[in-house]
Formats: sequence, C-alpha cells, structure tokens
Amino acid sequence: MPQPIEPSQQIIEQVNRLMQEGFELPAEKLVPTATLVKDLGLDSLDAVDMLVHIEEKLGIKVAGDQLMNMRTLQDVYILAQEATLQSSGKSNAGE
Amino acid sequence: MSRPCFITGMGAISSLGNDVDTLFACLLDGKSGVRAYPEWSQHRGLRCHLGAPVSDYDVSALPRTVRRSMSRMSEMATLATLQALAQAGLQPGADLNRPRTLLALGSTTGSPATLETYFKKLFERGGPEGQLSTSFFKVMNHSVAANVAAGLAFNGAVISPSSACSTSSQAMILGWELISAGVYDRVIAGGADELHYTSAAIFDIVHAASTGFNNRPNESPRPFDAQRDGLVVSEGAGVVVLESEESMSARGVRPLARLVSGDYSCDGTHMSQSNAAAMAQVMRAALRRGGVAPSDVGYVNAHATGTLQGDSEEAAAIAEVFGADIPVSSIKGHLGHSLAACGALEAIVSIRMMAEGVLIPTRNLKTVDPSLAKVQFFSVARKTETQMVLSNNFAFGGMSTSLLLARPNVA
Repeated sequence: MPQPIEPSQQIIEQVNRLMQEGFELPAEKLVPTATLVKDLGLDSLDAVDMLVHIEEKLGIKVAGDQLMNMRTLQDVYILAQEATLQSSGKSNAGE
Repeated sequence: MSRPCFITGMGAISSLGNDVDTLFACLLDGKSGVRAYPEWSQHRGLRCHLGAPVSDYDVSALPRTVRRSMSRMSEMATLATLQALAQAGLQPGADLNRPRTLLALGSTTGSPATLETYFKKLFERGGPEGQLSTSFFKVMNHSVAANVAAGLAFNGAVISPSSACSTSSQAMILGWELISAGVYDRVIAGGADELHYTSAAIFDIVHAASTGFNNRPNESPRPFDAQRDGLVVSEGAGVVVLESEESMSARGVRPLARLVSGDYSCDGTHMSQSNAAAMAQVMRAALRRGGVAPSDVGYVNAHATGTLQGDSEEAAAIAEVFGADIPVSSIKGHLGHSLAACGALEAIVSIRMMAEGVLIPTRNLKTVDPSLAKVQFFSVARKTETQMVLSNNFAFGGMSTSLLLARPNVA
C-alpha cells in the first residue's frame, strides 16, 4: 500500500507564493487545512488557473483530471509534490 | 411616443486625464497626450511610432474575481462607468436596473494585447496548453460590456454595439432611440479601447497613420492642417448615463445636457474611403430626427483624425450642411484617436464646452490646408453661447454617426 506523500517545504513555499501572487491571498490564510472554495474563495476558473500556474512556475505537468479531487490546500501541495517527483523520474514513496 | 433624453452622468478615462474635469482642463491648456514609442520600431513594417496612452489608474477597489477577466479596456470602461454613475447619483448593484436600464458598451475588438499573448503561446506550444481560463473573457466581442456588468453587479439588459471608431456614438444614439421610444428609461452608453501597436498597424497598413512625426510626438496628429500625415492611436473609455425625464425627476437629478437626436448609417460602398456625401447625409438625418435646423447648431465637433482624405471629406460635408460660418474643431490633436471611446469622449467634451462657454480649438492646427472646404477652423479657444452642438464620428466599414447635443434647458 502506497505511503501518503509528504510535501517538501520547498513545494509548500512555492505553492503558497503562487497562491499569493496569482490569487491575492494573504499568507495567514495559507494553511494546509484551508479549503479551496470555502476558506480561500477560489472557484472553478481559479482552479484551472491554479494548475496552469503550478505547471508554469514549477516546470511540471499535472493531470487535469486530478482537479476534481482537490479540496484543501494540502491536496494541492501533494498534487504538486507528486507531479514534481514524476517529472524528475523518481518513483513515489512506498511503491 | 417620443420622450426627451437627458444626460445625467459622464465618465472619462483618457490620454489627458482619468476624469472629466482633468480631461477638460488639459484640453483648455492645449496639452498633448501623445508620446513616442521608439520600441515599436522592432515591429517590422510598422512606420508609426506614436501613441497616446492613459496614465496609471487604480482598479484595486474591484474584487479580484471581477478584475481577473478584465483587460485594460474593461478596467478603463468600469472606472468611467463608475464615474458616470456617481455623477448621476446612481449606485452599482441590483437597484441599477430599476427603472428599466440598458447597458450598451462596446469596443473595436477584444483586447489586442491578450489576443497577441494568447495566440503567441498557442502557436509556440502547438495547442492550448498553458492558457489561463480567463483569457477568453478578455477577447470576447462583448468583453467590455460583460466585464463592466460584472463590475457593477448589474443584472439588467446588456448589449455590445461594435463599429470601431463609431462604437460609443452608436451606443449613445441607440440609447437615445430606445429612451425616446419608451423601451428603456435609462441607458448607460459608451465604449473603450486599449492602446496596442497592432491598432496603430491597422491604420499604418492603409496609410492612415502618422509616420513623419516620430521624433516630434506633440506635433501630431494635425487635424485639418496642411502638414497632417495621419492619425495617432490612443486609448481610453467614455461613458454617459442617458435618462428619460421621468427617471431623472424621480431622483431629483438635474441634467447636464440633452441628447436631442442622432443618426447612424453605412455608406455601403467602401470599407475605408471617407465619403463626404455619406457624412452629409448622416448629419442631415440627425438634424431631421431632432427637428432642428442647421442654423440652430453653433459648433461642430469633427471626427477629424488628421488623415488626408478623412479630414478633407468631413470638412466638405460640414460646409455643405452648415455653410462656411460654422465653427469646427477636433480634439484628436490633443488626445489622439481613442477608437471606440472617442464618440462618447467627444460628446462629453462638447457638453462641457457648452457648459463652460468655450470652444476647444484644434491642437496642431498651424496652417489650414488650403484645399479644404471653407468652415470656421480655429486654433485658439473661442467663447460661445451656443445652445446646441453636433458631434461626428466615422469608422471603417463606411460607418457614419452624428449626435446632436444641447444645453439641458433646450426644448
């Protein structure tokens, strides 16, 4: 059974930075448990753009169908971490 | 049913100031909004390196979810609309649609800057990868109208007239028709465009842009001048609030002016060549629809962009309709050509001219082209007591518009 991925501090900081720059969110709101819709006020258009920003800024490719599974900021960190690992050719932890 | 139509609010974002008072003061001072764009020399084939940009403005008060789909033209249109509403004593929100209100705002195209970045990335990537979800909302034909509606939380009727340089004058005339006919009680009308080198290129390609003054930006454009060599593209937004007497009186608001009438037509013959007969026809139609004689009009605000043919044809048409004694000027020598915004901006300035009792002269008019038909061109401000003025706008596609504007007490 795969182990849950722990996002690195670098990924967290990169995602938080683009959330601040792209969506004008204050740093204090950017906690892992923050829900994207209710707590951060993002909508479906923002979700699309968030993935574009992640891909462009982090130089990775994220599967679009994973958009629907994201509920919290922690989900975004994990998604970015997974995509980073896959882009760098490393296998997921626990596989 | 034919009801009078009044103007109760005006808003302006322009190359000479981001409100009506500043714009008018700069015009009175004879300032130029034109500056050199030497960086445009990198665009192969583009010979015009002049533009008239709007200075910095602040849209931070708008929510992010509203701003994210706005290009400059929608931002400027929203700010101008908010100015016009404030002057009319109106608030954004659902109440704006009571009584029945139409929002009629347009632009020449969607955002040219966004179109360029969108297609540049599309071609580079070989597909839509990496495109933001909001890009399309900046390039729709009705981007300005839709974005302003979102900015105002307006839930009434919205329409987006588009006829390039006659867009906002068409919107105003449409508003006049609908208010006069009793279809709407209030119409928020105007237009906006943003400066981009591709806009200058459109005119440069057909030899209508100024190319001989790249190192003397304040000396071009030169409407009606013997040395004129074409137009200079500008940007901005002009918006007015049009109202029926009933709508206005219900709030106890005093009118700024009366929109007596207007007319728009197409010459149906040529996409770009100006046509004095069509110009005269639209001016006469505006007079006829307003029940006004040419002698009732004391000033013509010409479209006159500074092109060789356009200025010549318009002068001939004005002389034919009004005779040789009519004062005529163009504010494009100061502002440049703000395309979809110019009709409303020029109407606003014309209204202020009547209110202030002064006619703004044509900037850069040093020597009147001797081949032009004789009217009263002037390069120094004139006092006026005129009760009524006519404002022209013409556009690619053979589009012609004329607006008749009067002091508020004119019956």
